[in-house]
Amino acid sequence: MPKHYRPPGKKKEGNVAKYVTRSQAVKLLQVNLSTFRRLCILKGVFPREPKKKVKGNHHTYYHLKDIMFVKHDPLLEKFREMRTYDKKLKKAVAKKNKDLYERLRTRKPTYTLDRLILERYPKFADALRDLDDCLSMVHLFAALPALERENIEVKRIHNCRKLSHEWQAYIARTHKLRKVFISVKGIYYQAEVEGQKITWLTPHALQQVLPDDVDYNVMLTFLEFYETLVAFVNFKLYHSISVKYPPILDPQLEALAEELYALSRYLDANTRSSRPSGSNQVESQENEKQHDESDLRLAQLQHQLPHNEPGALMHLVEDAAGEDEEDEDTKECENLFKDMKFFLGREVPRESLLFVIPAFGGIVSWERDGAPFREADQSITHQIVDRPTQGHIFLSREYVQPQWIYDCVNARIILPTEGYLVGRVPPPHLSPFVDNEAEGYVPDYAETIKHLQAAASNEVLPMPGTVKEDLEDPQRLLVEGIIDRAEANEAAEKKRKMATLEKQYHDELKLELEGAQYSSSMINQNMESNAASGEAREKPVPDLQQIADDSANMSKIVMSRKKRRLLEAMEIGKKRKQANVDLLKERKKKSEAGQSSKEK
Amino acid sequence: MKKHEEEEKVYEEGARSYPEALNGGGSPVDSGSDYEDYSDDGDSEDYGSWEEDAESGEEGATGSGSDQDESEDGNSEEFELSEETQSGESDSQEHKGSVKTNNKGKLSNDHAQIDDGESEISESDRRAEESDSSEDEVPSRNTIGDVPLEWYRDEGHIGYDVKGKKIKKKERQDKLDAFLASADDSKNWRKIHDEYNDEVVELTKDETRLIRRLLKGKAPHSGFDPYPDYVDFFKWDDAKHPLSNAPEPKRRFIPSKWEAKKVAKYVRALREGLIKLDKPKEEPRFYNLWGDDPNSKDRAGHLAYIPAPKPKLPGHEESYNPSLEYIPTQEEINSYQLMYEEDRPKFIPRRYTSLKSVPAYENAVNDSFERCMDLYMSYRAWKKRLNIDPESLKPKLPSRKDLKPYPVTCYLEYRGHEGAVVSISTEASGQWIASGSADGTVRIWEVETGRCRGVWTIGEPVLCVSWNPLSELPILAIAAGQDVLLINTGMGNEEDQEKIKELLQVEISGTADEQPLVSWLQDDRHKHEAIILRHFKTVTSVEWHRKGDYLSTVTPAGESRAILIHQLSKKITQKIPFKLHGLPVSSVFHPSRSIFFVSTKKNIRVYDLLKHKLIKKLETGLREVSSIAIHPQGDNVIVGSREGKLCWFDMDLSSQPYKTLQCHSKDITNVAFHRSYPLFASCSDDCTAYVFHGMVYSDFNQNPLIVPLEILRGHVNSNGRGVLDCKFHPRQPWLFTAGADSVVRLYCH
Repeated sequence: MPKHYRPPGKKKEGNVAKYVTRSQAVKLLQVNLSTFRRLCILKGVFPREPKKKVKGNHHTYYHLKDIMFVKHDPLLEKFREMRTYDKKLKKAVAKKNKDLYERLRTRKPTYTLDRLILERYPKFADALRDLDDCLSMVHLFAALPALERENIEVKRIHNCRKLSHEWQAYIARTHKLRKVFISVKGIYYQAEVEGQKITWLTPHALQQVLPDDVDYNVMLTFLEFYETLVAFVNFKLYHSISVKYPPILDPQLEALAEELYALSRYLDANTRSSRPSGSNQVESQENEKQHDESDLRLAQLQHQLPHNEPGALMHLVEDAAGEDEEDEDTKECENLFKDMKFFLGREVPRESLLFVIPAFGGIVSWERDGAPFREADQSITHQIVDRPTQGHIFLSREYVQPQWIYDCVNARIILPTEGYLVGRVPPPHLSPFVDNEAEGYVPDYAETIKHLQAAASNEVLPMPGTVKEDLEDPQRLLVEGIIDRAEANEAAEKKRKMATLEKQYHDELKLELEGAQYSSSMINQNMESNAASGEAREKPVPDLQQIADDSANMSKIVMSRKKRRLLEAMEIGKKRKQANVDLLKERKKKSEAGQSSKEK
Repeated sequence: MKKHEEEEKVYEEGARSYPEALNGGGSPVDSGSDYEDYSDDGDSEDYGSWEEDAESGEEGATGSGSDQDESEDGNSEEFELSEETQSGESDSQEHKGSVKTNNKGKLSNDHAQIDDGESEISESDRRAEESDSSEDEVPSRNTIGDVPLEWYRDEGHIGYDVKGKKIKKKERQDKLDAFLASADDSKNWRKIHDEYNDEVVELTKDETRLIRRLLKGKAPHSGFDPYPDYVDFFKWDDAKHPLSNAPEPKRRFIPSKWEAKKVAKYVRALREGLIKLDKPKEEPRFYNLWGDDPNSKDRAGHLAYIPAPKPKLPGHEESYNPSLEYIPTQEEINSYQLMYEEDRPKFIPRRYTSLKSVPAYENAVNDSFERCMDLYMSYRAWKKRLNIDPESLKPKLPSRKDLKPYPVTCYLEYRGHEGAVVSISTEASGQWIASGSADGTVRIWEVETGRCRGVWTIGEPVLCVSWNPLSELPILAIAAGQDVLLINTGMGNEEDQEKIKELLQVEISGTADEQPLVSWLQDDRHKHEAIILRHFKTVTSVEWHRKGDYLSTVTPAGESRAILIHQLSKKITQKIPFKLHGLPVSSVFHPSRSIFFVSTKKNIRVYDLLKHKLIKKLETGLREVSSIAIHPQGDNVIVGSREGKLCWFDMDLSSQPYKTLQCHSKDITNVAFHRSYPLFASCSDDCTAYVFHGMVYSDFNQNPLIVPLEILRGHVNSNGRGVLDCKFHPRQPWLFTAGADSVVRLYCH
């Protein structure tokens, strides 16, 4: 109960005064439940758990301040207005007042959410932080069919599609994409924008099923907010690379459903046109020399007209202007597929690859009207195909499966293509989001990739890496300075393993010694009392384990109950994790055994 | 309005003429004009004219079908001309004076007028006319009449020709051939298969144009004006008998009141801004919301925003092509069905050999919806995630090596009893131990060798044995049933034996008038002298005073006489002058002062025997106390309980336990302190005995140090009981344990 409504005799403080149940809140706001839901979703109000649930355990509790926050929002009044408008419209229809109906219809009250967005995310970074869900939802709806029955309009689907393409175009253009993972659920992308890691899921480009047991109203309310948020974020991002938003696309490409390509072309064209004025000012303050250089380049660019090859041109401009402002990671991403030309077969997921390949600096084309180059182009280095056999083969290029691209991206090196050739079952696709060491189980292919990475980085910077890596035995390094870094790594690992083995051995020895002491005393005793001899011999073996257990548990006895419980909970968690790892190992052993028996 | 009615009338008439035409059959009855024919086909006059155009077009098509060479331009020309002739013909019909034709004539007149400007009637016109009239001469190939075509579906013919021969259906072309032919033929899109006549018709350009116009809902001919000015066919001006002779009403001349009202309403609405004529200005919906400066203000004025936790990132198993070890076997998948629904894994990894074969994820929308529900329906709160090393939780204990010596391994077993060994006691010198068993015997063993020195058969199960703490008085107190036996063990030198013999003589007192607490009796059953103290209820424990003269016995069912203190030298028994609250469990004398500890099931009560006063009540907080032991310095007490907990009380600190150790999983049967080493032990029914380091510092500021040292195993569970008693050797750090498996064990360092 808010302060000024509190009747005499009601509580002023404590959980009773601070928290209200949902029905109380609805009553307080004087709206119906569905409007309350909408308000909560749009305002980002969520239930909070009181320390003491005064009304019982089965209620949902909201903090009174949250409810008052909703109550003072103009949106509430707007919703009421819309309700009365609906009533008016209904009445006009019922009274056959066509005139009024027509007049009303043009004056439907609308509302905007920009104020709400600013309220919920005062800083741009806040908005980016919460963007995961927005992007996933927008991408999902972009793939859904419109359904009149559930109020899913074509317009919104198209808007979602547009927004998702705009976002992808920005990410690809600025090379902010970091990780990609194809799962059964769809394709996960992770980008890093302004230090925020943003992960989103796009469904596979197939017909989606709309289940019946889902309240689409709730989803659409969320979507409404998300659409606005993503649009504002896109605006800000486009603004930051000085491109006009919303972009105006080439209608021809749009008709061919190549929005992403159209967008990237638009971005290229716009950044090119806007760069000279914007960037030059900055540069003149910073660096005279660079200024001259870029001016010269820009002059060169103006000679070559924009029509011939937008991609290459764009790179030139970018090199001139934006080299110093990009961080190491972005540069690495940008140069991954540099000087590589890809051609996509019809059966590969085009939208995804059109996004990923340019994001890592590659040039890509496909089999359709409006594509930048044809299949017969001799400069194509890789052709992405996903079919059991390839009919006509150009010898100048490699034919690989799409997984190769994703694995390269995650490993940040160009992987050898042997495993990914046409008709083969590709090596396992691993999640880039898993920390294998923390998980306790490293799949084989992760190990292979690690070795390849080490080998690759060795090529680029041979000395500093090795010195940093093997501080422990510098002497050996001095002698064998030429040694491969990967090899050195392996050696170090081996050494560590040896050390652990040795330690283990020592421990066992120690335990055995104790055991021996134990058994020797047993022998003494045996000499004296014959009766006990039978049992005594059997004992020592399990006792070793027992002793180890005892020593571990000994300190548990002295711990306070709280700490002991905590420790036990931790141990249970650890055990569960270990059980998972063991299961994996066992399965692997089994499958290997199965394979070897098959080979025989 | 009038015009409409007129047209309707015309329409009706047209409809009426329809049956006539039908009656007429093949021969042209009235006028025999083509025009009549058309009205047959169409329902109304208007449509008739449409139809006519279409028909003529079709006719043109069939005509062109015969001679393909004719250019398309020529075709279109012909079409136009045919239209011309049509109008011309109907002109000629006008003379017949029927209302219907009149009207039509008017209409077509207009056409003629329009067309007149463009072209003139030529010679070719007539030719077209001929072709037009020859419509009937080109009959449809099919002669089955107006019956459903499907009746002839399985037949090889479509009706009969004049000579009565079957008209054969054309051979069905092979589909592939048809497709290839159609792919080669650029005019294919214009070809239509006429199912009725079973032939392929190619549409001319005009026909396609016509169809296009029809599809748009326009009149088929471009020259047709659907809204011509109304021309009244009946001239009223100079007519003698107008239909109505009424003068024009007044209302035709005054402005409408209702109109004025309506206008006023609109004006008012406009003034009030209810009607806005200018459209609202389109503003760009999106703008730079956050501005360019990075440090804008925080959310203020309301509760802290808790960002929703991010969804869990997918692991290897969610990959479309995971390693083989992530895929569960069929048996494992089947076993999931046996699990509870909550425990069942939500996601079962699957492997697809190519990206192409991955199907759509059927739960995509459900997952998203669930996330939405989580976002606005579930509680959010900051939860501290403990990220600590579990090892750091364990307290830092001094190394066990530094706390040596303590009993570690089983050195000796004393075997001989046939029942569970319930109680043991060490002799003051440490050379002998006595053990009492449930088989009703008491044995004395030599500690070092394990030799049994003597056996007494008591007859009843022994509950407690206890040596006199004085080494020169080797008297053993045995509690069995209602009796407490004080037996001379026959150890020690001659002088001592003399003394003991003297002590263990009881004169039978004659004063039997009053009921004594305990009857002191002489026992002659044994080799050595013995006294029986006969209680009125079962005695469970016997405890000697440090000076060896007093001993206390506990009879839990004894109520006011539950705890008795006997004086050996005077053969006197007295009960303690305190009220016990609860059932007594055991009693102990303070090792140095005249203080007496009595433990009931819940609490420990500490009495001063000299001052006859309760000093302290120790609240254990345990469910049922089973045993108690006192530190040799007397300030610390340990209490064992039946729930397996061990409490350490520091008497100077408080009446609450200083530390409670949950060490055993079953009842603690006994606890013991070592007399000189800082050791204490507990034994339990779970067949283990724990040895602890319990250092008490003389400095008051330092709390006692308790370190668990060793878990001693070896006893075997029998009848659910494990180790029943434990005692330390008086001088060595050795521990004796008595087990329910009828064995006494000695653990040495």
